[in-house]
This record gives sequence, C-alpha cells and structure tokens, in this order.
Amino acid sequence: MKLPLEWLSEFVDVPRDVDVVARTLGLRGFEVASIEHLPHAVIDFEITANRPDCLSVVGLAREASAAFDRPMRVPMPAAGAPGSAGDGRSIDVSIEDPESCPRYCAQVFAVTGGAVTPAWMRDRLDAAGVRSISPIVDITNYVMIEMGHPTHAFDLDRLQGRALRIRQARAGERIRTLDGVERTVEPGMLVIADAERPQAVAGVMGGADSEIGAATTTLVLESAYFLPASVRRTSKRLGLKTEASSRFERGADVNAAPAAIARAAALFEQLGVARAVGPIVDRYPTPHEPLTLRLRSDRIAHVLGMPVDDDAVPRMLTPLGFAVSPAASAAQWDVRVPSFRVDVQREIDLIEEVARHDGYASLPATFPELAEAQAAPDARTLVDRRLRHVLTACGLSEAMTFAFIERTAALPFNGGTEPAALANPLSEKYAVLRPSLLPGLIDAAAHNRRREGKDVRLFETGTRFTASGEGRAVAGIWMGAGTSPHWGEKPRAVDFYDVKGVVSAVLDAFGITATFEAVSRPYFVDGRAAAFVAASGSTLGELGQLASDVLDARGVPAGEAAFAFEMDVDAVASAERPGDLRAQPLPRFPAIVRDLSIVVDNVLPAATVRGTIRAAAPDTLVGVTEFDRYRGAGVPEGRVSLSLRLTFRSPDRTLTDAEVDAAMAGIVEALASSHGAMRR
Amino acid sequence: MDISSLRKQFDADVASVASEAELRAIRDKYLSRKNGLIQAFLKTVATAPADARPALGQAANDLKKRVESTIDGRLAAVSKKPRADAIDITLPGREPLVGHRHPLTLLREQIELFFQRIGFLIVEGPELEDDYHNFEALNMPAEHPARDMQDTLYLASPLTSATGAPATLLRTHTSGMQVRYMERHQPPVRLIAPGRVYRRDNLDLTHTPMFTQVEGLVVDEGVTLADLKGTLVAFARDMFGPDRKTRFRPSFFPYTEPSAELDISCAACAGAGCSMCKGTGWIEVLGSGMVHPAVFEAVGYDPERYTGFAFGVGIERMALLKWGVEDIRLFYENDLRFLEQFPL
Repeated sequence: MKLPLEWLSEFVDVPRDVDVVARTLGLRGFEVASIEHLPHAVIDFEITANRPDCLSVVGLAREASAAFDRPMRVPMPAAGAPGSAGDGRSIDVSIEDPESCPRYCAQVFAVTGGAVTPAWMRDRLDAAGVRSISPIVDITNYVMIEMGHPTHAFDLDRLQGRALRIRQARAGERIRTLDGVERTVEPGMLVIADAERPQAVAGVMGGADSEIGAATTTLVLESAYFLPASVRRTSKRLGLKTEASSRFERGADVNAAPAAIARAAALFEQLGVARAVGPIVDRYPTPHEPLTLRLRSDRIAHVLGMPVDDDAVPRMLTPLGFAVSPAASAAQWDVRVPSFRVDVQREIDLIEEVARHDGYASLPATFPELAEAQAAPDARTLVDRRLRHVLTACGLSEAMTFAFIERTAALPFNGGTEPAALANPLSEKYAVLRPSLLPGLIDAAAHNRRREGKDVRLFETGTRFTASGEGRAVAGIWMGAGTSPHWGEKPRAVDFYDVKGVVSAVLDAFGITATFEAVSRPYFVDGRAAAFVAASGSTLGELGQLASDVLDARGVPAGEAAFAFEMDVDAVASAERPGDLRAQPLPRFPAIVRDLSIVVDNVLPAATVRGTIRAAAPDTLVGVTEFDRYRGAGVPEGRVSLSLRLTFRSPDRTLTDAEVDAAMAGIVEALASSHGAMRR
Repeated sequence: MDISSLRKQFDADVASVASEAELRAIRDKYLSRKNGLIQAFLKTVATAPADARPALGQAANDLKKRVESTIDGRLAAVSKKPRADAIDITLPGREPLVGHRHPLTLLREQIELFFQRIGFLIVEGPELEDDYHNFEALNMPAEHPARDMQDTLYLASPLTSATGAPATLLRTHTSGMQVRYMERHQPPVRLIAPGRVYRRDNLDLTHTPMFTQVEGLVVDEGVTLADLKGTLVAFARDMFGPDRKTRFRPSFFPYTEPSAELDISCAACAGAGCSMCKGTGWIEVLGSGMVHPAVFEAVGYDPERYTGFAFGVGIERMALLKWGVEDIRLFYENDLRFLEQFPL
C-alpha cells in the first residue's frame, strides 16, 4: 500500500518528516517496504493479511491519529441531494445469494461528459501507484485508495432489463472480463448478472460488455460487501487477482458500501463528471450486529507481563474507532468493534491493540519460569548428531540436498515403481519426492567433480519417501582418492572397502553386529554391492559401487568410480544394542598370537573361512583378522592365499604353546576338510 | 700428577672429541666420585703439607668447575648440530581425513544448544503433514487469506507420514509438530521443533523451496509477551553477539496474537540505513507471538488458564546474516569449496 504523505495529511496532521511517519507506523505493525522522498513523499507499507482496513489512506490515518495523538478530520464532504430518476434511469437490484453477498448498494448517475480528471487527483493517484484512465474510473480508484472500498461502474444501457442480479454462476456461463479475457464461470462463483447473463465476477473484475466508455450516458455504481471466502475461492479458481479481490477476500467493511457510493457521488459532483439520479439502492437483508467485547485490565497485564494504566486504555482504542465504555465490574471495559476492524473478534485482539500502541518498546524483557528439569531431546535428534560425529570422523563432509528431485533420477532407486509425485511442483527438476538420498548426493558429487575435480566425500542425513511413507536415512558417496593426499606417497583410489569401513564404523558406533550379503541392484555394479543385515534379520542398508549409467545420467565425468552407501536410520536406531553399558575388565593373562596362511578357492568368501575357524576353535580363540590376500606367483590359478592372524587367550590362566598348537591343528584340519585349504 | 698437568690433559681430551657420548665419557673420567681423576688428586692433597692444602683444594675445585662448564657448553653445542637423518619439518603433515558438518547444521546445533541451556525440549515431527495440523489447528481454516503467506507444495496422492497418519502436503513450517505435542501433553510445554520445511518458492538469492526452521513453543500458567521478548533478545545476542542492537515490534501471524517480529541492527551500515536493510537500519530475524487462543482451543487447552508464546527462525536466513553469505543456494549446492570454509 503506497501512502502519499500529502494525502494522509488531509485527514490527520502528521509530522512533515516522512521518515518519522514511516518509523512510527512501522512500529505499530505496518512494515515499511520502501520510502520515496521525491517527487512526492510516499511510504510503501506491507499491509498484513489481518488489516484490510489499512489498505486505505483513511485506515492508515486512523493509525497515525492514535500514534501521534492528533484528531482525525471527518466527515468528508457529502454530495447534494440526488435528482429524481427519469425514465429508464432506475435500476432493479436483487440479491439471490445473500450468504455470499450480504449487502449490495447501487446508485444511478447521469454522465455529464466533457470532464477531465484534475491534476491534484492525478498526482495523488500517481503517487499511490495508480494510472489515470478516465474521470469516472479515476474517481472509483480514488475512493478505493482513500476509503479502502472497491466500487464498480456499469454502463446502465448495456444491462439487459436494467437489472442487477447477484447470484451464483450457472454451468457453462461465460464472461469477457475487463482484461479482455473470455472466461468460463461455474457454480460456486458469485457473479453480478443482468436479466440474462453475467456482467461482472463479483468482487473480482467487471465485464467488458457493460464497461463504461466515452459513449456512456448513464452509469450505475456498485458498492457491495461480498463474503471473503467466496471472493477468494473465485479469484483462485479463475487465477485472477485484482486490487478489488485482494481487499474483499481479506474482509471489506460492510458499512462502507453506502459510504463509498456517497463519497464517489460527492466527487462526481465536485468534478462535474456525473450527477446522481435517484437514491442509493441498499439491499441489506440481515444487517451486521456490531460486536462488543469485554476487555479486562488484569488480563492485559497477564498476557503482556506489564500493567497498563487504566486511563490510557480508552485513549489508545478510541482514535482507532473503538467505542470504549466502562463495564459494570471495575477495571473492565465494554468495547464496541467498528465494522471495518474485521480482525478484532475476541479480547486478545484488543489486548494486541493496547500492546502495539508503543510498538512493544516499554515491554520488559523477562524469562518464563522453569519449574523442573527438561526431558532429553528427541531420540532422533541425538541419533542424527551421532551419525554426523562418526561420519565426519570418517572423513565425509555433510551435504544437504532437496527432498524433491527429477523423476528420471528417482526411477532407478524406487524398485521399478512410480515415485511419489507432487501435485504442484516448481518444475520438472523437482517433480517427485526422493525415494533415496543417493540421487541428491550423486548430483552433489557431479557438481564437485565437474568443478575442480576434487576428491568427493559427502554424506547426508534426511527424509526419504516411498509408497509406504516417509522414513529417515543416512547416505554417503566417495569418489577420487581413498587416502589423504600427501607428498610422501602416491594416492590410492577409493574402493569398496573404504566405504565398507565407513559403514562398519557407523554400525560399531551403535553397537550393531551386522552380516554383509551380496545383492544385485539397478544402481550398483553387479558383484560390487552388498546389503547389511542386523542379527534380528532386518536389513539396515546397502553399499556398493554406483553403476556407470546412473552416474552418466547425472553428469559425472565418464570413467570415474563412485562408491556409496545408504542406511535406514530408523532401523539402525532400533537395532542398537540395548541396555546400560558395562565396562569390561582388561585381560589379566597374556595372549598367544599365531599367523596362518592358507590357499583356498578364489571365490570362497572370507566370512566363510572365518566361520569355519571359529567353529573348529576352542573358546580361547578371541580374535581372527585377515592381514593379507594374495594371488599370483606361487598360488595356483583360481586359488588365493589368505593370511589370518589368530589370537588365543584364556580369562583365567596363561595358555601353553601345546594347547594352542593343538587348537591350530584342529583349525587347519577343519579348513582342509571343509574348503580343501592347503597351508602355505 | 699435578693440577696443571691434569688441566692440560683435560683440555687435550676435550678438544679431540665431537660426539655427545665421548663428552659424557670425559666428564666421567674427570668427575666420577668413585674413580675420577680429580677425586684421585684430592686424595693426594690429604698427604700434602697443611699450609699447602687450601691452595691445592682450591685449584682442584677450580678444575672441577672448568670441566663441568666446558662439557656442558660442548654438549649444548653438539645437540644443536643438524643430524645426518634430519627431516624438513616445514613439509605438510599427513592430515587425517576429517569431514565438515554442514554450516546449517553448525547453526542448528548452536540454536539447539542455546535453547537446551534454558530448558527447552527438542522434538522432531513428520515432514509430510495433513491440512489440519499444518493449517486448520493453527487458526488458518480453508480460504483464510493468510494461507497465501505460505505457498504450499501438495502431494499428487496422499502418503503415510512418519506418524502413521495420511498426509496430503509437505509441511510449510514445523508448527504442526507443536500441535501434535500439545494434543498429547498437558502444560507446561517448553520445546523447540527443528526441521526441514517446504514452500513453493522459486530459487533465487534469498529463497529455496526447502529450508530449515527451528520453531519454539512455551505454554504454562503466566507466560507473558515480556517473557517472549526476554527469551528472543537473549537468543539474538547468543547468535549475533552483544554488539548488535535488537528491536521487538508488532506484526501479524494467524496463529499468534499479539504477534511480533525481532529485528537486529544492520551490520552492513551499523543502523544508518543501506540497501541491505532497505534503508531502515534494521534486519528482520524471526517471527513470533503469543499463542492464539483458537490454537489452544483446537488442542483442548483452556485459553483462560494458560498462556504461551511461539516463535519461528529460518536457519538459512540466520546463516546469511551471520556469515555474510550472499546466495542462499550455496547451502544446497554442496560445493566442498564452500562447505570446507566452515569450522569442523
């Protein structure tokens, strides 16, 4: 709302300094978007949705009157008595839908012709951001800016039956609106029709067929009150937002309907544009009952945390149009709410009026009392924090990507089904909800690799969406070197085991023992992908080398390997080892370590070898670690040399070499019989 | 051997050695209490004439000091010498791979820490919401004009939210979680709800369609607007430091009444007015207010007995202000050259 200071001054004396006026009204809840100093002092206010009354000079003048403690200059000059309606100069108005249109006023005017908009009015309109069009349109715009109430002029001679019917649109009805667009209106939309067809979309825009023009000799001026929800619905369905609709949908002043006509009539007369012929027709089947609210002094103090002087309350409210009278009980008032304050509906709204009088400047700054210790944060917050600790310690930096992605990016990750789509996405790029965090991380990795080819190690924690709903996940991607760059050695490229190590570190942080199983996925290279499963059997997540077609599709430079993992955070959190941690005493007896090198089939999984060893060993075997895997000279084709370090220890005595020798013999025998393992 | 011969012998000995071990051996040779040469000389003093003894004792003592200071000096010099296997300690070290948390996480955790210090619970809620929890229970019934303030992304077909309830939209704020919490708990309530939220805003320098919010809610008997002001002013000080001024001024949100916004003085112009603060000298940081009685009624709280306040902070906005980031999209591009600028 652009407010020219000179226009404001017509209604209330305010300081000449536009910055002072802007700051003062700004602190009453009217945020200042910008201030113009030249050629005219104009303040552009952002008027919040609850204050349609301040989409007007008079509304803001009331605020200024209260803020600067200066009286308002009212009333405005009225028009003289209307002339009598001649033949064919009356209008037949009927409201067929009083729920959507509680009040409709109209008055007929004979157009004088030949008048022009005076410079002072053009200047004011121009300063307020409105283009001058013709004297009649300028006056209706002027009244709207001044009083906040939209009116609309029809060419009476174009209205069939000289009638205005305020009714629901009928199926299939069409109207060409003033913007020249042919529109279909439908039931649920309120229209102003003549005897035959719609001539305006109520509260939104007039129709081109009854538009006033140079040839207009008789006009009928509409000034109505339409139900906000009805106007909003219609405006949204037509995709048509106007100065009028934005005022009506926030809530116009039901009593301004006749007042706006009277004001326009005075201006028509003053500027010699038109003359009223016949009275204001006022259809108002169920007059608005003014709302009276009880305001309690102690409630003001209770909500604000600060007492307000009882004498000050009427002084704050009266200039704003509230009628304040003492109530039967002491320190209470009965406050009658003016019809233009559609936002004031209960006592709390009046308390706000009191509070904002000085822009909250006198409020003390206190703290709410705390009676007991607070509970621990949401477990999910703590899980995310731990995930970040572990993953940053593993060398991955945290990424954040959008939850909506391109459909084609989502498809490989959604098990062949359609990903969940948005009804009104911003663009194709953000059309579906991500079924996995990996597409976002692949895009982030591609972005980085295309820039300076940096090594990429990224992770993200976030929500993913599948047909069964939303779930929490964590995922990571690793490209480039697997080691820290250093002048002393050649970097090693990242491989599967780097990412498996990260996964193991996360599982370890949650005390989870998982088994890894080979899997096949459309987005992973076959033979280089695994799922990890908790002891309970629930799948916790997957890792693997990303398939090259998936990487290509997202612009990762060709030939680059990327390894990734994703886990179900809800599953990881619920698989966490329960119970209190009990520290284990350190071992009191020394361990005996034996290395074992065997030659086995190349495809025999290390986990199977480990299982055979554990099954064949006594309880004193406390550790098995692979420390070498070798294929080449000395190892037959199709076989592999596997070296393992076995640690034996007893909790209650020192083991003898003989005991361990016997255990090793048993292990070697089991490996030979189960896997044909040869000792090297 | 007389004392001057002994001294000459020491001087010759010490001149011909270079290593630390040799110097220590020479020290032992002369100073050892058991079999050192000076000790042996002192034994001969006992047999000398009585009037000569003090001078001889004094000479022996002088030589002892000479040996000590010479050896110490030479040892210090030896240890300063470069060794054969010296390394260039100016070469870079082998840095462990350590990742950075996202700057929005740094800020979120700072915010969480502040509110945990003053007794707030952290709760998280679903990102998929239903119309009731996102709007209606917050005093924004269908066709409410304030719904335009938050342009919503809707699902093409309903999905199951994290609460198990059917959802039709992506939450536009985390307020829905506050409603859910109040539905299940009686006052006192003192919580923050951090999380990602979604609005149908095109990407530009200051908007992204997904962003991160921390909303707060306090409900109890006797919670006041002054309490809200005190809490938020302390929060702004924690975030932006004690030098920035704060301003608490009236505003409008449908779910709070009275409503307020918190501004901080503009860092770019120190409050004088510039393009960054639109000439006002102030920058808007967050929205807040006293919980609207209609919200209490929706969750079954007695609005006459309980009062409360609520606030909402956009973390991206805070990050722009705090770190002088000029383009909000950088937070979602995940360029490591950006991410690695922030502390671990």
